[in-house]
Amino acid sequence: MDKKIKVIPCSGIGKVFGLLARESVLKTVLELCPEKSETICLAYIVSGDEAVNEKIAKTRCITVDGCPKMCASKNVALAGGIVIEEIKVLDTVKEHKGKNFGSATHLDADGEVVVNEIAEKIAIIINEIN
Amino acid sequence: MIESYAILPCNGLDKCAGAISREIAIKLCENAGNEMICPVFYRVAETKYNKIAGEHPLLVIDGCPTRCASKLAAEKSLKISKRITITEEAKSHNIKLSSGLRLQENENTLVELVLYELENAHDNAAVVSIESNTSYHFDYESFQNGKFIFRVPGNPQIYFNENDCWAYVIGNRARIGVTDFVQQNLSDILYFTPPEIGAEIDQFGEVGEIESSKSVFELISPVTGKVISVNKTLEQKPELINENPYESGWVAEIELTDFESDKELLIGFDKYFEIIKKKVEDLNG
Repeated sequence: MDKKIKVIPCSGIGKVFGLLARESVLKTVLELCPEKSETICLAYIVSGDEAVNEKIAKTRCITVDGCPKMCASKNVALAGGIVIEEIKVLDTVKEHKGKNFGSATHLDADGEVVVNEIAEKIAIIINEIN
Repeated sequence: MIESYAILPCNGLDKCAGAISREIAIKLCENAGNEMICPVFYRVAETKYNKIAGEHPLLVIDGCPTRCASKLAAEKSLKISKRITITEEAKSHNIKLSSGLRLQENENTLVELVLYELENAHDNAAVVSIESNTSYHFDYESFQNGKFIFRVPGNPQIYFNENDCWAYVIGNRARIGVTDFVQQNLSDILYFTPPEIGAEIDQFGEVGEIESSKSVFELISPVTGKVISVNKTLEQKPELINENPYESGWVAEIELTDFESDKELLIGFDKYFEIIKKKVEDLNG
């Protein structure tokens, strides 16, 4: 089994919650846990390409979804990944009711706060596993 | 852009080229009329996205040669109107992409270039000014002659001709202007006549005019290409050329056609710095 945990956000293109998911994952894999985690493109996973299927099959994954459609979680599981944690951006967003997080292309300061909180949650999970 | 697209990007996450694909798609959708197709959600919301793809010409943006977006379009039997692959665009614009997942200067430049080309591919007849969002950074060296200080930027991307004009080249685009030698000699600049947007300019051809109470200076283009943007602010505030001829006083942006050839007749910082010093000495000698 691949040692690095895969952290995979939803595609989330064109919506601020998708951007929050994506930025949280990038912060985790690039800054907080670069040695213990990596990400894979969800659009590549759903393409059914053999190489990516092989990479994800029976591998521990944390998914981060921007909306209740749960595209990341569902598609990672379909591709054979072991989803050990489903992170929902909206759970953290709800704790910041009334705040302005930004847009699909730019996060405001409150958006950055949410990103940091989610990334820290993911990092704790990764560190506990390792 | 006259015609609106349905845009299917790869939305790549784990490669720089994918991140560029996503950025371009989002920026296109910020413009009126374009509609986004999410490459992941398409698999569960087929009806919704088939409708969008049926109503607009389809633009497919792949990040890398894996071509996830193209494969998805083929799988859904969509007719592709236009397809671009970011790695190929980078190659054609001679831009080296980083291995990181965050867009840096080169990547942002490529985004701007591709957006410009997409918009112009649809609107050849319309002449528009597309000023790049590229950040230009200047590292100056200077010397003093009497009370006058002459600055020359030493960045390797900046080239000069002996007519005291500079070109800051990024990818296939150059921002051009005059050097401190020109603005100090002209003294207070009163008028600026810009080149026409869309004009095809040869290297060493005239690309605008600036005038002070002392004389008129014809700008001699360091590069060959098409004028895609001019610094409109100078028409109201030509004095910006005196204040800083490299930054707020830039003159125009040119889409390059053959910079490799242009380069042979241009000089870099070291040589120009010596030339300008000599010119200043001769003037005051």
